[in-house]
Amino acid sequence: MFTSRCRRLDSSNHTSETRDDTPKPSHLHLGGGVRTVMAAVATVSSASGLLAMLQEPAAELKLHALASLNSVVHLFWPEISTSVPTIESLYEDEEFDQRQLAALVVSKVFYYLGELNDSLSYALGAGPLFDVGDDSDYAHALLAKALDEYASIKTRAFKAAEEEENIDPRLEAIVERMLEKCILDGKYQQAMGMSVECRRLDKLEEAIVRCDNIQGALSYCINLSHQYVNHREYRFEVLRCLVKIYQTLPNPDYLSICQCLMFLGEPEPVASILDKLLSGNEDDVLLAYQIAFDLYENENQAFLLNVRNRLTSQTSLPPNPDNGTSLQDDQTTNVDTGTEPAGDVQMSDDTTTPNGSAHTVDPNQVAHADRLSKIKGILSGETSIQLTLQFLYSHNRSDLLILKTIKQAVEMRNSVCHSATICANAIMHAGTTVDTFLRENLEWLSRATNWAKFSATAGLGVIHRGHLQQGRALMAPYLPQSGAVGGGSPYSEGGALYALGLIHANHGEGIKQFLRESLRNTNAEVIQHGACLGLGLAALGTADEEIYEDIKNVLYTDSAVAGEAAGIGMGLLMVGTASEKASEMLAYAHDTQHEKIIRGLSLGIALTVYGREEEADTLIEQMTRDQDPILRYGGMYALALAYSGTANNKAIHQLLHFAVSDVSDDVRRTAVMALGFVLYNEPEQTPRIVSLLSESYNPHVRYGAALAVGISCAGTGLSEAISLLEPLTSDVVDFVRQGALIAMAMVMIQTNESFDSRVGTFRRQLEKIILDKHEDTMSKMGAILASGILDAGGRNVTIKLLSRNKHDKLTAVVGLAVFSQFWYWYPLLYFISLAFSPTALIGLNSDLKVPKFEFLSHAKPSLFDYPKPTTQQTTTSAVKLPTAILSTYAKAKSRAKKDAESKANQEKTTEDASGSTSGKVAKTQEKEKDAEAMQVDNAAEKKAPEPEPTFQLLTNPARVIPTQEKFIKFLEGSRYVPVKPAPSGFVLLRDLQPTEAEVLALTDAPSTAAASTGNTAAAAGQQGSGSSAMAVDDEPQPPQPFEYTS
Amino acid sequence: MDPKLTEVNQMFARFKAALARNDLNTCEILLSQLKVQLTKFPSLPPLFQQTPNAVEELKLARDIYEHAVVLSVKLEDQDAFERDFCQLKPYYMDTCGIIPPSPEEYPILGLNLLRLLVQNRIAEFHTELELLPVKALEHPCIKHAVEFEQSFMEGAYNRVLSARQAVPHETYVYFMDLLAKTIRDEIAGCSEKGYDSLSISDAKQMLMFNSDQELHQYITEEHPEWEIKNGFVFFQKAKESQPCKEIPSLQLINQTLSYARELERIV
Repeated sequence: MFTSRCRRLDSSNHTSETRDDTPKPSHLHLGGGVRTVMAAVATVSSASGLLAMLQEPAAELKLHALASLNSVVHLFWPEISTSVPTIESLYEDEEFDQRQLAALVVSKVFYYLGELNDSLSYALGAGPLFDVGDDSDYAHALLAKALDEYASIKTRAFKAAEEEENIDPRLEAIVERMLEKCILDGKYQQAMGMSVECRRLDKLEEAIVRCDNIQGALSYCINLSHQYVNHREYRFEVLRCLVKIYQTLPNPDYLSICQCLMFLGEPEPVASILDKLLSGNEDDVLLAYQIAFDLYENENQAFLLNVRNRLTSQTSLPPNPDNGTSLQDDQTTNVDTGTEPAGDVQMSDDTTTPNGSAHTVDPNQVAHADRLSKIKGILSGETSIQLTLQFLYSHNRSDLLILKTIKQAVEMRNSVCHSATICANAIMHAGTTVDTFLRENLEWLSRATNWAKFSATAGLGVIHRGHLQQGRALMAPYLPQSGAVGGGSPYSEGGALYALGLIHANHGEGIKQFLRESLRNTNAEVIQHGACLGLGLAALGTADEEIYEDIKNVLYTDSAVAGEAAGIGMGLLMVGTASEKASEMLAYAHDTQHEKIIRGLSLGIALTVYGREEEADTLIEQMTRDQDPILRYGGMYALALAYSGTANNKAIHQLLHFAVSDVSDDVRRTAVMALGFVLYNEPEQTPRIVSLLSESYNPHVRYGAALAVGISCAGTGLSEAISLLEPLTSDVVDFVRQGALIAMAMVMIQTNESFDSRVGTFRRQLEKIILDKHEDTMSKMGAILASGILDAGGRNVTIKLLSRNKHDKLTAVVGLAVFSQFWYWYPLLYFISLAFSPTALIGLNSDLKVPKFEFLSHAKPSLFDYPKPTTQQTTTSAVKLPTAILSTYAKAKSRAKKDAESKANQEKTTEDASGSTSGKVAKTQEKEKDAEAMQVDNAAEKKAPEPEPTFQLLTNPARVIPTQEKFIKFLEGSRYVPVKPAPSGFVLLRDLQPTEAEVLALTDAPSTAAASTGNTAAAAGQQGSGSSAMAVDDEPQPPQPFEYTS
Repeated sequence: MDPKLTEVNQMFARFKAALARNDLNTCEILLSQLKVQLTKFPSLPPLFQQTPNAVEELKLARDIYEHAVVLSVKLEDQDAFERDFCQLKPYYMDTCGIIPPSPEEYPILGLNLLRLLVQNRIAEFHTELELLPVKALEHPCIKHAVEFEQSFMEGAYNRVLSARQAVPHETYVYFMDLLAKTIRDEIAGCSEKGYDSLSISDAKQMLMFNSDQELHQYITEEHPEWEIKNGFVFFQKAKESQPCKEIPSLQLINQTLSYARELERIV
C-alpha cells in the first residue's frame, strides 16, 4: 500500500525534461522538406496564447482556454504559474460555471511548484473533476497527500477522543472514492492498508468481505495491524473488527481467531471456542489442541491461566455446580493458584477430578473429560515443557570437547573465567538435563567459592530447566534445610533457590510456596537474594500480592545484596502489569542509599511497564528526568521494555537522544542497547540504525551498539549484523570485545559454517582468544560465554523474542533484559536461558504422543546441519595420520548412508532406520574414534566424493531451525497430515490410518533417566563421587545392526 | 467545403467589410463571435489535430487574429493588442510547414516590438528579438523597431522623435505617438538620478514641454514626490537612501557556537 506514494519529489524534474523534448519553435525547419515537417511539427511551444485567451471577455473563450490549459499544464506549468492569480480569481468567481476546472488547473500548477498543501486544497475544490483513477504522478502524489492528511486528522481526532466534526467532507469523499476504486480494481491489500491507516474500520470490513480471498486478506490485516499500527488501543479495535469478520465466515479459521483474541486479552471467547471444538469430532479436537499449543507459544501466562479456569468452570458447572473445585478455580483466577497444592503432578490430577468421571458412566463424558484434561495440560505448558525436555534430552548434541578445551585453557586462579566456564557449560546444556561435564569435573568445580558457588549452583537450574517434576528433588542436596542448621553454605543454598526459579520459570505454581517459605525462614542475605530471584522467576508476571509483600519485606531490610534481588524480583512478579507498585518502588529507590538497591529497583520498575507502550510514558518521563543516573538508566530499560518489539519511532528517537547526550556512560550504554529491544521485530533495521554508534569514540556506546545488534538480530544470522559486529570483536577496549563476542554468538546461534562462512571464522577466533595467555580477562570471559551461547541447549535451541505469530515472547524479552544486567552482576547471566526456545518440529497425535514418521526438508542437509563436532588438534600429528582415519571413517559413513537409503526405500518405519539417526550414530562413532586417536582432519572429510543431495528426510521429532521451516514438507501419501498449514513447532497430526498400530518416539526415557539423575545428583552433590551413570544413559543406542548387514 | 468553415468565412467577410467601413463597434462584436467559432476547430492550437480542412482553418484563423491585432491598434486598446497578438503568435511559431508564412507576419511582429518599446518592456523586447531568425532582421518593419531601440538606449531621443515621419506601415503611427510619452518618462527618471534640482525652464526644455502649465500637470500626475520651490524642481525626496541592513552579528555568533557544541556531541 505504501508504494504508491513517495514519487512526488522528483516530479518537477520530470516535467522540465519533457519540456525540453518539445520541438523548438519552427524556424529551424524552414529549410527542411515540407513533407517531413508536415508530419512532425504540430505542437505548441508556449501557453501564452491560451493565457491571453483567459483574459478575453467572452466566457466561452475563457472556458476553452481553461480546458486547453488543463491538457497542457504538465508542459507549460512554469508559464502558467505566472498567471495563477487569474485562474484563481476565475475559481473564486461565483458566476463562472466551470470553477472546478479552474481549481483543477491551479491545483496542478501548485503540484508542479511543489506546494502540495495548496495543491490539495484546490484539488478538493475541483470536486469530481479530480480523477482518483488517473495514472499520473500528479494524481498519485495528491492522493498520497490526501490520504496522509486524512489519516493524520483521523488520528488526531482519535487521540483527542473528539467527534470528527472538523473533517472536510470533500477530503473524506476523495478518500472514499479512492478506497472504492481500489476495491473495484481488486487491489484489496491497498484498500485494506489505507483503511487501516485512515481508521476507517467500516471500509476495512467492506474491503475484506468483498475480497476474493478472505482468509488471506484477514491474515494480511493481522500482520498489518502488528507491523504498522503503533497505537495500542487502535490496534485492539482493528483486531476486534477482524475477529468479528472471522466469526461471520462459514468455516472460521479458529487458529487465527484465537490468536487475535489473545492479543485482545479476551479469554472468554477463546474458552468457548475451545470448548466447542472439544465437543466436536476428532479433527476439531486436534484443532483445539493445536490452538492451545499456539497460544502457549506466546507465553502469556496470565491469559492462559484465565482460559484454563474458564474451561473448567464452563464444563464443570453444569454437571455438579456444588463441587468445591469450581469455587477454588474462581479463587485462583484472582489469587492466581496460590492456594493450589504444590506439585504439578498433583495439579493435573486435581483438574481431572472435578469432571466427575468417577460417578458418570457416559463414555462421551469420559472422552470429553479426558480431552479437557489434555488441553489443560497443554495450556498450562506442562505438555510442551515435557515434550521439549524429552526432545532436548534425546537430541542433545553438545560438544564436550569445546568445554574441555576451555577448562584446560583457563587458569585455575582466575575466578572470572572459571565461573564463566561453568556458565558456558550451563548454557550449552540448557534444558537438556545433561550434567556430565559437571560430574566429571567435581573437583575442579569445587574451586568455586562464595558468589561463584552461588552461580555454579544456579547453573544446575539452567541445565535442568523445565524439569518440573524432578526439579526440587534434583536441587534438594543444595537447598536450605528447614529448621536444621544445614551443612551447605548460604551461597549454594541461595544459588539453589535461584536455580529452582530458573527450572520453574513462568510455571511456578508448584514451587512458589516452597520458595516463599525459604524466603521467610532465612535472614542470610545471600539466601534472600537467591530466593527473591527464584520467586520472581517462578511467579513471573502473576502479580501475586502475597509474594509481593514477602519480597517487599526483604527490600525494606535495606540490605544491599538482598535488596537488589528484591527489586528485580518485584519487577519480575509485576511484569507488564503497570501497577501502582511502580511508584512505591520508585519512592523507595529515592530513599535508599545503596546503589545496588536503586539499580535493582529501577530495573524492576522498568519490568512493570513491559509492553504497555504509551501507557508507560508518564513513568518513563519521570525516570528519564531523574537526577540519579541509575534511575535514568532504569528509564532506558523502561523505554526498551514498554516499547519492546514495536519499532516505535518516538521511542527510538528518545533513545538515540539519550545515547548521544546523557552525561552518564551507563545511561548511554543502556540507551543504545535498549534500541535492540525496541527493534527486535525488524532485525534488518538495527544494524543500520546503530552503525554510526558502533563507531563512536565512547566504548560504552560501542558496547551498547554490539549488544543492541545481538539482542535484536538474535538467532537470525543476519549478514549485516555480522558485518557490523566483526570489527567490534577486535576492538581496543576489552569490554567492547566482550560485548561483541557475546552479541555475535547470539546472532550466529544455530547458524553453521555452510550457511555463512564467517561462523567458522568466529569459532576459530573464540578458540584463539580462549587459548591466548595474554588476552584480557574480560574478553576471555566474553569468548567463553560466546562459545556457550553458540552451542546453547545442546545445539537445539535458538534465541527467539517473537513467537511464530509475531507475538512478543514475554519470558524471552524479560530474560534478555535481565541478562543484559550481567555487566553489574554475573549471576544474572543465567537469565539468558529464558530466551532459549527449542527449534523442533514435534508432531503429535490425538493422544499427544509423538508418532514416528518421516517428512521432507527440501534443502541441502548441510545448510541446516549441526556444526561438526570439534576435534582436539594436537599441533603436529594431525598432518601425519589423516589417511588411516579417513579410510575407516569414510567406509563407515558410506555404509551408513547406503543403509539409510535402503531403509528409506523399504519405507518401513521400524526403529531408528532414519537417515538422521544413522548419521548421528556415524558421527558418534567418529567421536569415539577421535577420543581414542585424539585427532581427525576436518579438511579430509570435505573430500568425501558423493555429491550432496538436495533434500533430506527427517524423522519426527526433528530439529528444524527457523530458517529451515520454509523448506519443510510432508511427504505425499504420508500417514499423518498436519492440521495447520506451515507446520512448525508443535504440530498436531491427523492420522489417516487410525486402525494401524503407531510407533512412538520420545517415550518416557528421560523421566527414568531424570530419576536416576536425581538420585545420583543427591549422592554426587554431597560426596563428590559422582558415578558415570548419567554418561551411560547418555550413550545413544547399542551398536547398530546395520554395520554388519551389508 | 465544410459548412462551418463557410459560415466563419462569411462572417469574416462581413467583419472585413465593417473594418473597411471603419465601423469599429460592429467589428468588435463580430470579432468576439468569430473567436468563439474558432474554438470549435480542432485543428487550431493547442490541439493541432490533422483534419482535412486543417490548412484552410489555420489560415483563416491566422487571418482573423491578424485582423484582430490591427483592429486593436485602431481601437487604441493595448491590452486587446497583447491578447490578440499572443493568440496569433502560435500561428507564426508553430504552424510553419503546415501553412505558408503570412505576408503580414513581419509587420505585426514589428508592431509588437514597437509596443514593447512603448511600454518600456526592454527585456521582453530582446526576448522577442532573439526568437526571430536572422533573415527577419532585414525586413524594414523589424529593422525600424530595432533601430528605434538602439537610439532609445543611446539616449538619442531626438532621433526617435524625428523618425515618426518614416513609418513603414500605417498602423505604426499609433505607437509612435505613444513613444513620446515613454521617452519623457525615461528622461524624467534620468534627471531624477542625475540632478538634485533643476530650474523650471531647464526642466521644461528637458522634458519637452511647451508651457509651465504642462510641466506642473505632468509633475502632479506622474511624480508627486517632486517638489517645486523658488523656480526649481527638487528631486530630493526620491533619493532617500534605504538604510543599509546591519549584520546580525550576535545571532551569527550564537549559531556558530551552538554548531560547535553539537559537533562535539556527535558521536
